Amino acid sequence: MAITGLGPHGERASAPERVLLLPEDMARARASGFRVAIVLHTLASDWAKQQLSGIVGMLGNCGVAVIDVVDCAFTPEVQIEALERLIGEAPNAIISLPVANSKVAAAHARVAAAGIKLVLLDNVPTGLLPGKDYISLVSADNFGLGKIAAEGLSPHLPDGAEVGVLGYDADFFATNEREIAFVKWMQINRPDVTLRMRRFPALSEVAKTTRNLAEAHPGLAGLFVVWDTPAMTAAQVLETMGRRISMATVDLGQEAAIGLAASEPLVAIAAQQPFRQGETAASIVVTALLGRLAPAWVALPGLAVTARNVVECFQTVWRMPAPREVLRKLSLVGPEK
Amino acid sequence: MPTTATAQTDGYPRRKGRPRVSETAAPSLVDILNLVRTEQATTRQEIERHSELGRAVVADRLGTLGELGLIDESELGTPTGGRAPRLVRFAADRGRILVATLDQTAIGVGVADLAGSLLMEHHEAAELAQPVSALAERLITLFRWILERQADPQLYGISISVPGAVPDGGEALFQRSTPGVLPGWESFPLVETLIAAFDAPVWLRSSVETMTMGELHAGAGGGRNTMLFVKVGKRIGAGLANDGALFRGAQGAVGLIGSVPVTVGDRTGTLEAMAGSDHIAQDGKVAAEHGASPILAEHMRRGSEITALEVAQAAQMGDAAAIDILAQSGRLIGQVVATLANMLNPALIVLSGSIAQTNDILLAAAREAIYGACHPLVSRDLQIIRSQMGSSSGLVGAAIVATEGLFAPAMLRDWIMAGRPQAHPLFQQVKDEIARRKTMEGNSLRPPDV
Repeated sequence: MAITGLGPHGERASAPERVLLLPEDMARARASGFRVAIVLHTLASDWAKQQLSGIVGMLGNCGVAVIDVVDCAFTPEVQIEALERLIGEAPNAIISLPVANSKVAAAHARVAAAGIKLVLLDNVPTGLLPGKDYISLVSADNFGLGKIAAEGLSPHLPDGAEVGVLGYDADFFATNEREIAFVKWMQINRPDVTLRMRRFPALSEVAKTTRNLAEAHPGLAGLFVVWDTPAMTAAQVLETMGRRISMATVDLGQEAAIGLAASEPLVAIAAQQPFRQGETAASIVVTALLGRLAPAWVALPGLAVTARNVVECFQTVWRMPAPREVLRKLSLVGPEK
Repeated sequence: MPTTATAQTDGYPRRKGRPRVSETAAPSLVDILNLVRTEQATTRQEIERHSELGRAVVADRLGTLGELGLIDESELGTPTGGRAPRLVRFAADRGRILVATLDQTAIGVGVADLAGSLLMEHHEAAELAQPVSALAERLITLFRWILERQADPQLYGISISVPGAVPDGGEALFQRSTPGVLPGWESFPLVETLIAAFDAPVWLRSSVETMTMGELHAGAGGGRNTMLFVKVGKRIGAGLANDGALFRGAQGAVGLIGSVPVTVGDRTGTLEAMAGSDHIAQDGKVAAEHGASPILAEHMRRGSEITALEVAQAAQMGDAAAIDILAQSGRLIGQVVATLANMLNPALIVLSGSIAQTNDILLAAAREAIYGACHPLVSRDLQIIRSQMGSSSGLVGAAIVATEGLFAPAMLRDWIMAGRPQAHPLFQQVKDEIARRKTMEGNSLRPPDV
């Protein structure tokens, strides 16, 4: 599937194949004894675990030692402190997912200034430049993910429907792109639809924001939420309010997969491929450490998931069988005895 | 004989008889604000020294600027014996500037503070060939989206980078109407539509000009005063920064080097036609069809379109035919740029555009040609590098264009007493004119529905 979005500085996407490592590259990396540290926003989510295993596995194949894995718990201060400490450890490279924008920009800029290669995941603090402050950004095609979600939700919307959009009230590249793309697709392809926008500042506010949105617009027929965790919270809130609203979101988490298998309330998911994103980030690190030019933005296409293909997509994304409940809902296994 | 001051042709209040207090205060306010804004002076003592104004006047003006929210004196500096001085800082957060880049294939939008620092940006694919009205509609939708995300959206200006030279005699404080930058633009009042939708002055500059400013202020140009910027794409253009400022020439049409004729073998054409991205793509297709390039031929077999980027990627992967195509483009560009370098003696040459930024071969060939053809004195300390800012340089540069426009003494003196550029009499005039035309032409100037 083609990449539809542009990078954080307007870059055209490069395919992960651009940083494919050949056996001789891996042999050279193994002979060099590189050390790499990883700084993630969280280690608790399935998405983060998958991405981490992609990174660590690929680095292992190349004989690169992972010297630290930091969980920032979505907190800029923790990330700043971790980066400061890691600069002192002087690894050859750091892979980081910036948890905020301007707050963590300076700390990330110091990594490159200290001569450590920096590869970013999912987000680039405004002002940081590829080639100068970091090597590459690896992310899903987030613009494409928003578009996939809109395309998937559209057939479930009656003519002239009101559709809610729950965005994330933080300046974060990935969620901004999804929101813009969803709204753009609807405005172009479903001009009959009226969009109702709300943004939540933190996960703890999702329930309140959803309730406000649903109360203000009793006729809501559809809802898009920019990722799956808040989407599942919103689904619960709507259920307690006795509202049946078709939903679309991004990321195929366990719970989201179960909801999608039942086609209720989730009808469409645009899924990222965290394992492949992790492997790609590791390949970029090795490419850069071997002194080769890496593209400024490497993007992976999203997968369009509905109840029809949820099982195989779950396997592609998570590298494990779909949850038992998903299989049961789709009658692929018998009922529980 | 005009009946009111603002009805005069130059748009400035009539200066006759005893000046009003606001008129006497304005010049010193302008001086002080610009000293603080450019960080030439950061304490009251430094302001007194630089402005040659007395302590009481400085205190009075700082009081006024503080009330207008344009400066902030809450921070303390380092003591140099005695009490720590109160730092005088420019309140860059007081306002926002909306910025955009309209490219051949993409649209970029962003928001900057009054110091020109980019706070947020977004880029998406867009066809410039679509009607200007559709482009304007998308621009307005994205601008509204960005403004919604600002906590206190006090809009001070809009600055747009456009894909063509903006004709300008150099006297305009800001854009009063839409110039014919590209065919079709005369028929749609882009500037007027933006003013009507957002109530803020608008600046337009060519993409090469904004990118030059962006690169000079936030990219490779750091600390250098003389920089030559070359953008390689479908079109090839250059920008010149001299003494830290953009050189705009007599009509704002500087650096149109794409139309310089060059010759390769028995073929002669313009630099754009012989070395631009269309040419690279065309040569790539020919190489694929004739079996000279296995990588591009494979691309074609899979049904993918061959653009200049595919050729650049193939060259990067070692494809001999693709390397030759890019090396030739680089050499031709280098030859033309070398002539400019010999004339202008820049400290730095920056090559930009997606091909130049992602490909070592074009850069290497251009470097070779430039160094080879330059006078030893010119090439001795000359640096030739690729841009690292991508399309961000256009957005940052557009923000710098707006801040320089807003705070230019000739502009600032007529809005500073109100604290908002919207109070400038000329801007009021432009708005009145737009309103008058709107009444005359019915609804044709109505901003697009979003």
